[in-house]
Formats: sequence, C-alpha cells, structure tokens
Amino acid sequence: MAEDVGLQRDVTVTGEVSPRTLHLKLLRKQWQIISLQVIATVALVGMYLEVVSNYVVGSIDHTMLFDTIELLIGDQLPIGDWLTGEGRSGLARFFVPLVLGLLVGGGMALLAFQTPKIQQRVKLGFIVTLIVVLIGQLMLSWLTGMLFSFDLRLPNSSELSTLEWPLLMILSMMILFLYLLPVIMGVRGIWGLSRRSIAWAIGFTLLFLGIHAILAFPLINGQLGTYGDSVNVIGAQFSDPTIGIFGLMLVNEQQFALILIAVLIMVFQESSYGVIRYLEYAYRLPESCKRDPEYVRQMDNVLNTHLKHTFGFLGLTGVATMIALGFHTVLLGFVEDSTGSQWAGQISESIELSLTYGLVISAAMFLSIMALLRFFVPWERIWGLIYSRRNADATPAGKEVVEI
Amino acid sequence: MWTRKASFTFTGGIALILIGMMIANLQMMILGLTFIAFIVVNSWISGHGDVEVQRTLSADNLYKGDDLYVELLVTNRSNRNTQLLEVYDNIPHEMKLRSGLNQMRLNLKPGESARIRYVLRCPLRGHFSIGPVSLRSRNTFNLGVEEMLVDHHSDIVIFPQIKEVEEAFLRSRTPKMYTGATTLRTPGQGSEFYSLREYVPGDPFKNINWKAFARTGDLMVNEKCRDAVTDLYILLDSRDIARIGTVLKNPLEMGTVSAASLAAFFLKRRDSVALAIFDDSLAYLPPDTGDKQYFKILSALAGVSPKGKMPLQAVTNSLSGRFSRGSPVFIISSCEGDGTVPAAVRDLVGRGHEVTVLSPSSIDFERLVSRIPRMSYEVLKLERQNRLTTLAGSGAMVIDWMPDMDLSQALMQVRGY
Repeated sequence: MAEDVGLQRDVTVTGEVSPRTLHLKLLRKQWQIISLQVIATVALVGMYLEVVSNYVVGSIDHTMLFDTIELLIGDQLPIGDWLTGEGRSGLARFFVPLVLGLLVGGGMALLAFQTPKIQQRVKLGFIVTLIVVLIGQLMLSWLTGMLFSFDLRLPNSSELSTLEWPLLMILSMMILFLYLLPVIMGVRGIWGLSRRSIAWAIGFTLLFLGIHAILAFPLINGQLGTYGDSVNVIGAQFSDPTIGIFGLMLVNEQQFALILIAVLIMVFQESSYGVIRYLEYAYRLPESCKRDPEYVRQMDNVLNTHLKHTFGFLGLTGVATMIALGFHTVLLGFVEDSTGSQWAGQISESIELSLTYGLVISAAMFLSIMALLRFFVPWERIWGLIYSRRNADATPAGKEVVEI
Repeated sequence: MWTRKASFTFTGGIALILIGMMIANLQMMILGLTFIAFIVVNSWISGHGDVEVQRTLSADNLYKGDDLYVELLVTNRSNRNTQLLEVYDNIPHEMKLRSGLNQMRLNLKPGESARIRYVLRCPLRGHFSIGPVSLRSRNTFNLGVEEMLVDHHSDIVIFPQIKEVEEAFLRSRTPKMYTGATTLRTPGQGSEFYSLREYVPGDPFKNINWKAFARTGDLMVNEKCRDAVTDLYILLDSRDIARIGTVLKNPLEMGTVSAASLAAFFLKRRDSVALAIFDDSLAYLPPDTGDKQYFKILSALAGVSPKGKMPLQAVTNSLSGRFSRGSPVFIISSCEGDGTVPAAVRDLVGRGHEVTVLSPSSIDFERLVSRIPRMSYEVLKLERQNRLTTLAGSGAMVIDWMPDMDLSQALMQVRGY
C-alpha cells in the first residue's frame, strides 16, 4: 500500500523532480522572464524598423553610403551585396543586416555569461584574427618576397595593395556596426542583462532622432543645400486622419508610425530593465528565501503583473497618445455641432488650431482630463471587485513544498 | 509620490514637446506626449499598503545566543491589488539575521496573504521590540512610490545565558530547616534515605551499603534526601564602571551570566534566591523559590544596564537587616571605583554571612578595547591584587574572574588568598 503512494511533485528526495526556486539558473528559464525578454527584443526590432523606415531608408541608409564608397574607389566593396542589402529596395535592405545584428548581439550576450577565462580567450582570438586579416597577407607576401630575393627592403606597391581588401572589409563592417548599433547593444542588453547596453541602445536611438530633428529644422536644412534634400522631413501639417478607434478617426499613418516608435521605445525599456531588476532582486535573496515557496509565488505574481501591465498600460499609453493627437478634431467638431453659429464655423476651419500649438494644447487638455479621471473613477477598486467576484468560488491554490 | 524616474520622464516629455514646437518637429512632440501619456495612464494605478500584518514569534522569552523564529503574515484586506509592495520588518540592530530575510517584494490580490519567515540570532540580553513593519508601494513601472508604517510591535525578552555550575563548589554552611510537611525529595546531603545507586569512583566509602554489596556483588551507595534549603543573596554591581570592555564581553555581561547561572542552580535545588542590583539605585527581589522567582530574576537581569555609582556599603547597610542569619552572599562586582567594598564585606562577614566575591577583572576587559602600556597594566593589576587580598583578609572568598575564563572554571578557584 505504502509504495502506491508516490511523492508529491514538489517533494524532492531522489532529485528527479526539482522544486521551483529563485536561483538564477532556473529563473532565467521561467516563462515570464523569457516572455519579457522576447517582448523587449520584438519591441527593439520593431522600433528599429520603424525608425529606419521613417527616417533612413532611401534617405541616408547604409546601401547608399556603400554605393558612394564604391563609386569613390571605383571597385566593389569586399562585403557581399546579399549581406549589406545592396540592390534591394525599401526596408528589405535592412533585413539581412538586422539578422546579422541580432546574431552579433546574441553572441555578445552569450559571451557575457562565459567564465572570464573563456571571455579573455575569445577576445584574444578576435583581436588576433583581426590582425591576421589586416596584415597577414601583406606580411606573408613581403617576407617571402624578401626571402626569395634575399634582400632587405620596404614592401612594394603590389604588396601594399594587399592591405586594400582587409581595410575596406573592416570599413564596411564598421559602417554596418554603426547602423546596427541599437540592435546589437539592445540584444546584448536584453539577453546579456546589461543595463549599460540597453541605455546605449535607447540613447543612440534618441540621439539619432535628435540629430535628425536638428537637420530637418528648416533653417538648418536650408543651409545644407543638396545634402539637406536627402534628410527625410516630416511636416507639422498632416493630412486627414485615417486610423482611429470605435470609428473615430484620430491620426494618419505617419503620426501612427511616430507614436509606434515612442511606444516601442518604452516597451523595450520597461521590459528589458524589468527583467534585470527582478533577476537582481532574486540574486540578492539569501539561499533560504530562494527555496521558499512563498517568495517563488510572490515573484510569479510580480512577473505576471509586469507582463499584464506591459500589454495593458503601454497599449493604453499608445491609445491615449492617439486620442490626444486627434482631440483637437473632436473639440472642433463638438464646437461646430453644438453651436452651429458662424463663429463656430470659422473656428472649426481655423488652420492655427490644427497646427502644432492647437494640437499640443488640445492634447495636453485631454491628458489633463485623463489624469483627473483617477480621482473620479476608482479603477483599482473596480478591477479588484471584478477579481473578487471572479475568484469568489475558487479554492486557494496554495501548495506547500515539503523539504525532506 | 513621484519617483525620480517619473520626474525625469515628465520633465523630458515637456522638454521634448517644447523643443518639438520650437523646431516644428512632430516626432519630438509625439515622443514627449507619449512620455506624458505614459505617466498619466500609470497614475491610475498607484498600489497601496492597506494590509493587515500579524507577527508570530517562536518564543516571547529567550536566552542570549538562542535563535528566534519569526513569521510575518501579510494579508491584503482591501478590494484592490497591492501592486508591487515591499515589506520590511524592522528588527533591533542588536539582532542578527541567521536565516531567511525580513523583507519581501510581493503583489497581493484582494484577500491574498503571504508569509515571511526568518530566523534571528539574539547575541545580547535585554528587552527588545520587533517592528514596526515598513511598507513601500510602487507601481509596476516604478513611477509612483508611497511609504508607510504598520505600527505592529512584538516585544521579546532575552535572558542572560545560563551556564552549568558544579555543585561541589557551592554549598551552604547554614541550612535552613523547613517546618511542616515539606519534603524536598531530591538527592543531596541529608539524613533521610532517598535511593540506592551504583557506586561511582569518588563516592565516599562511608556511603557504601555493604549489605547490598553482599547481596548483589556490586558496590552500591546510599543516596540521601536533601533536607535543608538555603537563602542565597546575590548582589550584582551594575554601576557605570561595569561597562568596561566590549559589548559582548564586559564585567556586567559576565556578572549577569553568573548571577543567572547561580540563581538557576540554587533554585533548581529548591533554595531561595534573592537578587539585589545596584547602579544609580537599588533594585531588590526578596528571597523566594520556584519557577516564578526564576522568571523574575531572569527578567530583572535582562533589563540591567550600566549606570550610576552607588557604593556597595549603601547596599549592604540597607539590606543586611533583611538577610537571613548565616546565609551565603554572593557579591558580583569588579570592585573598581568603590572604596567601601572592604568595609561592606567586613560588615557582612562580621554578621556571620559566608561572603563570596566574584570579581570580573575589569583591567583585562579594558585591555580588550584599548592598549594599556605594560608597566601601567602591571601596576593596575598589582593594585587589584591588593584590593582582592584585602577582601580575602576580611574573611570573604574571592574569585578573580578573567575574561576568557568559564564560570565553572572561575568558581573552582574559590580561595581565601
């Protein structure tokens, strides 16, 4: 009879079933952590593609730079077109480099988890390979040339020309690296748990947006002459809105893309930093707490809430921004419909109210109303009440881990 | 309250909107608006610390050096989630965490509860209080933070450690006879037969029961019932001077340990024990026996702290009238900074009390914390020896108790100098 009674799942005696603990080794494989990391990666890629498609492609993208260099040297760059995306059109130019960036970032993250000895060896190997690629051919031809002619001399022009290929190769790689810096650093930060790398990815993106904004400023753009024409300028005056919710058109596609960039930056930031924050907390817990089912349960609660809020609140942030941007049309429509007077007609057709000032003031007004709503609508209590009603009949799912 | 992150996000958002408006850049304006919208949306959920806290301790009284098991039950009684709540149970800084942690990050749903378990080591005696519980509530993205306190305290008394005391070294010369039908029924020196037991080396030959030996072939000895009790008086010096040394090793700490151990030993023998603690005033527990007295003595010793400079003679003058005739008196004092000690001891001996002076060597305690030149140390040591010799000359048994010496070891060196 006794042998029929098996151990419960959480009981560990034989070591076959391991209980859930907050050890980093286990926690890193937990679905919530993986989900947050995947969300952060998707947001990073999405943000990068949005920025690239809006500001870079066809304007200042890397393929155009490679074309210019090829034109200058009168030869093809050693790096293959299939790798750089040359010859493709639109966003497709970035697909292969993007995959390359993800792989490099992933590799750097993987390296970060190796022992210092392995890290040192890999770094040393990389440097040696770089040196060999750069001057290996030159040294080989030069030294063998001297050996066969039995003459001590400086390298001749044909031998020096062997430097051309590696230099161009390194230059091409550096250009690609510069273009892919947010992706490489972002992936390294997300999967390698590096705050600094995440800050680099966000900082570089914001820096790019800032520089682009300055270059797109009409006064400066005009000074740049023909170079200024290649900067993608997004005008302050937009066409009619085509995207909205509940049949209410709020923003156009261009505005939506810009909102998407902003929201994705925040999703990337909050998810990636969140993972590091939670893992850091778990790491600092003493051994006994890591094994305590109560701590495991609460960590689950916290992670689940983070996941829900990432979707819920950041989604709502995007929607709120959309409504805020389209709020001036709602206001103008309301004024026109409510009064029907001549003055109201003039106001609704006023172009100033559709320009930046009107747009920002109405958006700020909408956000203020939203902020005030929290004092009138007890969201938290409503959600809590719904939860209580839903779980009124549910039995508590407490399962104790028995330590033997 | 907004966190630094929220303030930066808000300021950044406003700055981006303004710069965007200045240079007519919609991306910047939208980025700024999104930052502001992020704060606005997140302000709807702030979390709360409206939780019920219940603390359970493994014991209300412990001995110094023991472990205390604490369990803190946090229950969310409100109708909303707590969001990210950091719970921190404030523990006295004298106590050390041995296992577990006195804090947890949690997110409790309505009606849900969580248990925080941890073990504390109590290296110092005294009266302590665990609590209050500090709460810090944040929202998921760390934009708002609220700090609160739950005024929930649990009091605990840490008694001094009890050391084993060998019976051979402590014996009353003047037993007090109980009247009436009181039977002690414990083995000891007396006249009534208690039991027969096997001989162990060291038992006096006069106790051997020869008839039993003849019958069984094994050496057997008679054990007697104790038929007398003693009133024992312990005078503990808790003056300011008793704080010399480290927190864990000073004359007062050693004094409380010895007072508690002696009291435990005598009370176990069903003797009556009285305790007088003198610092800036005199606290006196009249002689009594039993567990209640034991608890009273330990509680009194737990709360002792060094202060004041009451002379020993003032203590003996006020108490000697209450001392039972011929009962032993234990004086636990470093005998420093009090010129009345020889006179007080002489007075007690003169009244027929068997006086034992247990004197922790304060010079050696001082050496633990400060560097004393060798010559000065030798001089101070000599002065101390003279002082103790004077006490011994008055008829007291004097024990010079060094810091690294165990109590039973110290009691072995009872000598008359």
